Amino acid sequence: MIDNLVFIRNAFSRYYSENIDRVEIPKSIENREFGFTLFKEGVMVRHKGFMKPEDLKDFIKKNIPSNVFYSAAYYSVPEAKMDEKGWLGSDLFFDIDADHIPTKCNKKHDVWTCRGCGLKGRGMTPDKCPTCGGESFDDKTWPCEICLETARSETIKLIDMLMNDFGFSPEEIKCSFSGHRGYHVQIESEGILDLDSDIRKEIVDYITGTGIDALLHGLEEVRDGKTRFLVGPSLDDFGWRGRIAKGTYEFLLAATENDLRNLGLKRKIIEKILSSRDEILESWKTSGPWNLVEGLGLDGWQKILQHSATFQSAKIDTVVTVDIHRLIRLPGTLHGKTGLLKVSFPVSRIEDFDPLKEALALKGEEVKVYVDEAPAFRLGDEIFGPFEKQSVTLPLPAAVFLLCKNAAKVID
Amino acid sequence: MDRAERRIVEALTSNPPEVSYNPYAYNEDIELLSFPVAIVLVAALANDYIKRRYALAEARRAYSLFKLENEEKIAEIAGKFGWKIRVINRQIGFIRFSFALHFIDYLKNAIAFHEKEWKLVNRMVHNGEVYLSKHDVARLLQEEVRRYIESKIDLSAEVKIPEEILKYVEKIRQICSEKIKETPLEPIPSGVVNDAFPPCIRELYEAIKSGRHVSHIGRFTLTAFLLNIGMDAESVINLFRSLADFNERITRYQIEHIAGERGSRTKYTSPKCDTLRTHGLCVGSDELCRRVKHPLTYYLRRTRALEKREKARVEE
Repeated sequence: MIDNLVFIRNAFSRYYSENIDRVEIPKSIENREFGFTLFKEGVMVRHKGFMKPEDLKDFIKKNIPSNVFYSAAYYSVPEAKMDEKGWLGSDLFFDIDADHIPTKCNKKHDVWTCRGCGLKGRGMTPDKCPTCGGESFDDKTWPCEICLETARSETIKLIDMLMNDFGFSPEEIKCSFSGHRGYHVQIESEGILDLDSDIRKEIVDYITGTGIDALLHGLEEVRDGKTRFLVGPSLDDFGWRGRIAKGTYEFLLAATENDLRNLGLKRKIIEKILSSRDEILESWKTSGPWNLVEGLGLDGWQKILQHSATFQSAKIDTVVTVDIHRLIRLPGTLHGKTGLLKVSFPVSRIEDFDPLKEALALKGEEVKVYVDEAPAFRLGDEIFGPFEKQSVTLPLPAAVFLLCKNAAKVID
Repeated sequence: MDRAERRIVEALTSNPPEVSYNPYAYNEDIELLSFPVAIVLVAALANDYIKRRYALAEARRAYSLFKLENEEKIAEIAGKFGWKIRVINRQIGFIRFSFALHFIDYLKNAIAFHEKEWKLVNRMVHNGEVYLSKHDVARLLQEEVRRYIESKIDLSAEVKIPEEILKYVEKIRQICSEKIKETPLEPIPSGVVNDAFPPCIRELYEAIKSGRHVSHIGRFTLTAFLLNIGMDAESVINLFRSLADFNERITRYQIEHIAGERGSRTKYTSPKCDTLRTHGLCVGSDELCRRVKHPLTYYLRRTRALEKREKARVEE
């Protein structure tokens, strides 16, 4: 029986020997730090530097790493110790990963095993094992269509903000599929390189809507002589102001009695909102719904607006963007957890890009494997599984995918 | 020379600090030329407090003057600092916006302000520009001027100063000797007072103690906080011992790293409130939280209040 790792490594080796030019060389390669994980050691080799594209390509062909990373940062001496590298700047980088986002599939396809007592369960890995209280788990996560769709819609919201609010052009925004469960968005423009962590944090807060205050986005009480009335943001406003309005429109379009009760609104007001839903929706065409619901004042509207804003934010991984020394996966290289390619694509393709098709990169003959357990999954146009304790013959990418997930063994 | 001296003395003695502008007392040439002289004097004083105070006072004076200028003039001055700014005069809702400023120029200055209306997320941002009132831009320019002046004063530079000028330096030093006294950093009370933990830290502390999962940044926050309030590395390591995935070697390495005993020798401070909010570690604020910006400030104030209460009890 062939060892799994040897088999995967051979498949990776063939990809790199035939497709080495698909490996994307980052801008200013001589100022980037590189990191690799190797199949045998399973450890990270960091602080590598390459002067020329050819040096990097030769290194990859020779060592066949299981993962290839490079720094979003630029350094004078990339190979030096961390505090001696001489930081010159860093690209603006965003990571959207289904791991961090609640999804409709509830991650039912993911399996976790407690390292303490061996208990198995499905869904999001718990903080603490319900049986033994241990908090260390082996987890097997799967990139399902729902996870990937959720990540895509968060990415679309992010791109919308980067273009419409921050004014970046489509040419400045680089998108890629991570090779596993998410998307990466990167900006290399001159103006953002020297931004420090604090400023990047403000950009993160903007994108995640952290610290947003509806009262600073047009919601206010206005006095006109003796009468008082409310005004608020409208749907065609710019930036977060318009986004809050859109969020509120969508929230009230579908809100249930329960949703509104969770906001702490009184029963009578909830009834009025629900009974005048059509009127509310219609009002957005004119001055907005702010004075339509009797008894619903500034405080109540503020609660609704703050809540609605959360749907409009993009759920990026906050730590990644703020970290100005981050290592990120190199586009055009294979992901060691899936055998899929990290593949770049233009912003304009974010709606129709099919990650499970375009990230297929391995070529070779069909393989017979014994699958311990795997949910149904799609690669390209074909759906495989679900499998349980059975031998199957699979195309190479599907076989490597299961081997990388440690869900199968090579038979012949 | 006298005006230069006055500028610095004004900066140190007025409160809030502001250098005056009086075209009747000093003519234009004196106002202009006394400024670089004052910069040299401040550099010669070689005191960080005076440097910061002087920069702020000059910046506040600039702010008062900016507010009197028209939009075009303000845009022209901002342009001198490299800002990408346009005059727009546009009404949106009930607000009148006079300027559109590139978001990077905005952030580089607004980052110093902590009120929520200065957070980018609470601003009208469109196509790379932040829409601002005249008052906003004057305030941001004040910050730009403050940073600019601070950057012009190099305290470490060995300046050869003529006798004549040295007299002025000595004179200012005397006038301001009271002000120059460095306020000593408040000592952190020795014993660790668990009751004084802010809510975020208490949550992390309880989570770790009961072996619940805590994110990487959560662990960092707790460790840096505990080390900063005087807990020794050994006690912090012991705290993590109850975790199922506890690995003494790795934990010790990481904690000693944060304590500044390894690697870069930087002693890390725990993140400020704002950062904890970004990473979802703020568990909601109590009364005291609303008055502080850093968990360590919270801890200091609370321990002091607790000590006072303790004393009162003893004296009864």
